[in-house]
Amino acid sequence: MNSFEVPSSTIDDLDISHSFEDNDERYFSEVVGHIEEIIMNENFQSIQQDFMEKHWTQFEDDEENRLIYTDIFKEYQNTVEKYIEKSLLEKMPHFDPNKFDEELSNRKFELEGEIFEMLSTFSNFISFKNMFIDYKKMKEEKLAELSFHISVLKYN
Amino acid sequence: MGFLTVLKKMKQKEKEIRILMLGLDNAGKTTILKRFNGEPIDTISPTLGFNIKTLEHKGFKLNMWDVGGQKSLRSYWRNYFECTDGLIWVVDSADKRRLEDCKKELYVLLQEERLAGATLLIFANKQDLPGACTVEELKDILDLESIKTHHWKIVSCSAVTGENLLKGIDWIVEDIAARIFTLD
Ligand SMILES: Nc1nc2c(ncn2[C@@H]2O[C@H](COP(=O)(O)OP(=O)(O)OP(=O)(O)O)[C@@H](O)[C@H]2O)c(=O)[nH]1
Ligand SMILES: [Mg+2]
Repeated sequence: MNSFEVPSSTIDDLDISHSFEDNDERYFSEVVGHIEEIIMNENFQSIQQDFMEKHWTQFEDDEENRLIYTDIFKEYQNTVEKYIEKSLLEKMPHFDPNKFDEELSNRKFELEGEIFEMLSTFSNFISFKNMFIDYKKMKEEKLAELSFHISVLKYN
Repeated sequence: MGFLTVLKKMKQKEKEIRILMLGLDNAGKTTILKRFNGEPIDTISPTLGFNIKTLEHKGFKLNMWDVGGQKSLRSYWRNYFECTDGLIWVVDSADKRRLEDCKKELYVLLQEERLAGATLLIFANKQDLPGACTVEELKDILDLESIKTHHWKIVSCSAVTGENLLKGIDWIVEDIAARIFTLD
């Protein structure tokens, strides 16, 4: 079973292109790591929360989108993009979006899981809308629960 | 360039194409969109906002945007121009009375800087109706030959029978792909 295995030292020594990729990879992970930190930070969470609170009542779980969603989406991008960019610059004073873009231009961009979902709400309208619909459902469940408790109190 | 622009550009590597569908109200935009998506088309009402469908076609991910065409909504069209790769202009070929209006609105769009690079497909819709203008007649009335700023093509179709819808989409996707994905 092991007969075709190449000693790992050989790969490291001979594969020159690999080390280039390693550098890109490291830079990429560094940026993504910082973004992750920013997004998980409570500062960001409260900006996000305020934004959702301000606008969720405008959204309906209908197939057709209201024109106002587009304005809210723009506002979201402006608020969030500015915040992330500013925070990223604090963490990486030399961060250059153009360079980041260049570095990525020859690789396929892959991000998975929670961070990807969050990032896609910034750039993808459908993800953005779904985030609001989920939030609305959550709010309405809470309100329903609350009114249930109130009516229980009333009739007891 | 902002951070989000970078994200958007990265998306292009997934071979995403953004298509904006516009035209006068009642032209058949939403019906065409639902047709493509295999949805029933018998309960469609006039669009007051916009619809989006994402379709897989020939290895591309098509994001199709359909915005309501009523007169009062046309000033909002501009909010949807950005990043558009292809414009589909839908014409009700049987509504001869409004073809001048249709032409006027089309030419306003063609002047738009943010649509400058977009491929233009004109769907001469409702060909199943008696008295619908032919492609040749529409070319003449809409003065299409004068369009030099965009790659364009006119295709006669019917959203109700489904005739030629694929032909139109195939053309616009091919034209866009040749333009933006050739470096891959
Ligand atoms: N006979 C016929 N009727 C069609 C065709 N396409 C659409 N219609 C009908 O035309 C009407 C308007 O279609 P819509 O798809 O709502 O038109 P629209 O362009 O989306 O209109 P707005 O949303 O107001 O901008 C509907 O009653 C459709 O059933 C067609 O190819 N043939
Ligand atoms: Mg419509």
